[in-house]
Amino acid sequence: MTALSTAFRAELAAVLGDKQVRMIVLLALVLYAVIYPLPYRAELLRDVPVVLVDQDGSTASADLARRVDASEAVALTHHAPDMAEATRLVHQRRAYGVMLIPDGFERALLRGDQSPVALYADASYFLMYQRVMQGAAVPLRQMGAEIEAGRLIAQGTPRAVAMAQVSPATQVEVPLFTPAAGYATYVLPAAFVLILQQTMMMGLALAATRRGPLPGHPVWRLLGRAGAWLAIWAGLLPMYLIVLPVLYGLPILGGPGALMMLGLPFLLAAGFLAQLVAALFRRGEVSASGAQRHGSQVVLLALGLPFFFLSGFAWPVEAIPAHLNAVAQLIPSTPAIDGLVRVTQMGATLPQIAPVLWHLWALAAGLGLTVLAVETRRAARQGHRLPT
Amino acid sequence: MLAVMAREIRLLPRRPALAGLVIVLPLIMLLVLGGIFRAGIPTGMAVAVIDLDRSDLSRAVTRMLDAAPELTVTHRASDLSEARSLIVSGAVRGAVLMPQNLERDITRGARPEIVTFYDNQHMSAGSLVARGARNAIDTALAGLRLSVRQGQGEAPFQAMVALQPIPMQAHALFNPAFDYVHFLLAALIPTVLQIIAAAATAYAVSLDFGPGRHPRVLMRMAGGILPAMLGKILPYTIIFLLILGLSDVALYGWLAVPLRGSLWLMALGAVLFVLASQMIGALAFVLTRDMGRAASMIALITAPAFGFMGLGFPREAMSTLAQAWGAAIPGTWYVQLRIDQSLRATPLDISAMSVLWLAVIAGVLAALILAQLSRLARQEVAP
Repeated sequence: MTALSTAFRAELAAVLGDKQVRMIVLLALVLYAVIYPLPYRAELLRDVPVVLVDQDGSTASADLARRVDASEAVALTHHAPDMAEATRLVHQRRAYGVMLIPDGFERALLRGDQSPVALYADASYFLMYQRVMQGAAVPLRQMGAEIEAGRLIAQGTPRAVAMAQVSPATQVEVPLFTPAAGYATYVLPAAFVLILQQTMMMGLALAATRRGPLPGHPVWRLLGRAGAWLAIWAGLLPMYLIVLPVLYGLPILGGPGALMMLGLPFLLAAGFLAQLVAALFRRGEVSASGAQRHGSQVVLLALGLPFFFLSGFAWPVEAIPAHLNAVAQLIPSTPAIDGLVRVTQMGATLPQIAPVLWHLWALAAGLGLTVLAVETRRAARQGHRLPT
Repeated sequence: MLAVMAREIRLLPRRPALAGLVIVLPLIMLLVLGGIFRAGIPTGMAVAVIDLDRSDLSRAVTRMLDAAPELTVTHRASDLSEARSLIVSGAVRGAVLMPQNLERDITRGARPEIVTFYDNQHMSAGSLVARGARNAIDTALAGLRLSVRQGQGEAPFQAMVALQPIPMQAHALFNPAFDYVHFLLAALIPTVLQIIAAAATAYAVSLDFGPGRHPRVLMRMAGGILPAMLGKILPYTIIFLLILGLSDVALYGWLAVPLRGSLWLMALGAVLFVLASQMIGALAFVLTRDMGRAASMIALITAPAFGFMGLGFPREAMSTLAQAWGAAIPGTWYVQLRIDQSLRATPLDISAMSVLWLAVIAGVLAALILAQLSRLARQEVAP
């Protein structure tokens, strides 16, 4: 029992008392609260600039342009005489699409023929492409439907029948959980979980490489340390996952109870993994040199983005090859991002994400046992070495 | 300078931590990142159908949904709350609701609603599901409209034409296959390399310029502080350029990303980018003279860099402050150059701006490092 409390106090001191470890934890706050969300503050894309190339110059083409310009998604900000000039504006990123109304547009409509319009949208930006397509497709479809209905009515079809024939059913699309479809609301909750994990692991790995020998059985020492992590991050986790999101105005649906239930195995698993990363950099060395100490920090820094994309949040898990996905399941952030996002942003209850909860506990147990095995072996080796 | 370079390369195998950092880690990253995106666009995402009509039409719509490449109908829900629960738990990514009397209301001209709910918290998957469902339902409804017109005695072709008075010919500029893998990889590899180059350079510099080390030996060897610094940095420049080159071979060869622009401009940009990334690390170290603080400084600049590159959320839509912060990071311009020259085939005079910015950043960083180094040299002489 004394071994447990000694280890607990030693780890608290190692994390809170060390200037460099404290700086990493503080750094997390700066990264988190100020720099990381900076690009996404604008949230919504309104009035995406589009170039109009109107080769028809008729009443009908002007009517169509007016309708497209009035849409919320796009604005016809430039007029160009030809495609070459319009494409240059897109290359310069001053516009993200070109609407080309060909010569003879009105004539074809009056004759009752099909009268196509070409839309070139910059597909190097997924969001821009979507907005440009959306902004042009809806008014085009509406105008087309009015014309088709007009033709039917002119042929003597009753008005109601004509309308039903033109569009038999209305398609409604309801985006769930991010009502305004804002980018910050989408990406920040997941990124926050990852930053929490990476900075926690960096801090703990650094603390681990500096740790001197402590008395007692490895089990008590490890449990004491784990207790210290929980004591520190029990305050930090809600700070990062509830307080800051609220400050940024992100919607939060889930309750703090479910959050803490998921957070507990997540923190344990991340803490144990940090011990393993530290052990990897300590192998064969009695006292770690500067490089060994900060090596784990650099590796964890570089792994941030791959971990994020492996988690199956931004890049759908359906598209990740099976063997890589299997490896990804060993990283605590993979189930944690999924579970925590579902709880805080989608209002999932614990029974609804029970598999994630089990997954995290299994990881915590598995990683914990691995740490024990590694440390017991090292203690045995050192004990062997000491008398000589 | 050459002597310092030769010494650096000779010492590399004896420093496993450094060798691991500059060679093994980037190669693992390359494999993992390439592996994640190799499969391309996601297909067969699970959706639920809430079919309250159970008519020929609702069954036809369900078949269309299942046939869409993006979708697989995996669940049938009996009501909305069941469907919502399926989405929340992650069993499906969306649900399509077909109301009672759908078929009857359509034939009566009452224009009933078909509603698609999709998980927009997972935006990339959600929007693909929405697109797949939209196209499938459109196809099913167009089939219905066509059969009505043909039933009234119109010829199939004539009916087809009449359905769409103003068809939209949609063209996806620069990305006809609609494949974002190319863009993501073109940006992710430099982002990760920027972190590693900065950190590794800071570490390499710390070995000779850190506290308790003797940079004088090195300076005498090279004949001055500038050649000594260059001798430390350049061997790693070559290694990182080789890794970047390898990633290009993988990207443009193995993954067949189109290469439409000037290879020379891209190569020039790559050299400037690697040098600038390395100098972030060197500057962080000579300013702090402590590897721990230098690593934190590097983390602050390079770790959030991906968001500022504007791949997900375009730079032009960001706040001025975010645009300015992004403009100060070399990766932003290098990634823009890569995408412009490989995928967008941007005219050279527009793309030259990115290279110019990279040169400016590299120049400013070099000036700052030299100023700090000469300040340190004076301090050492003074007492």
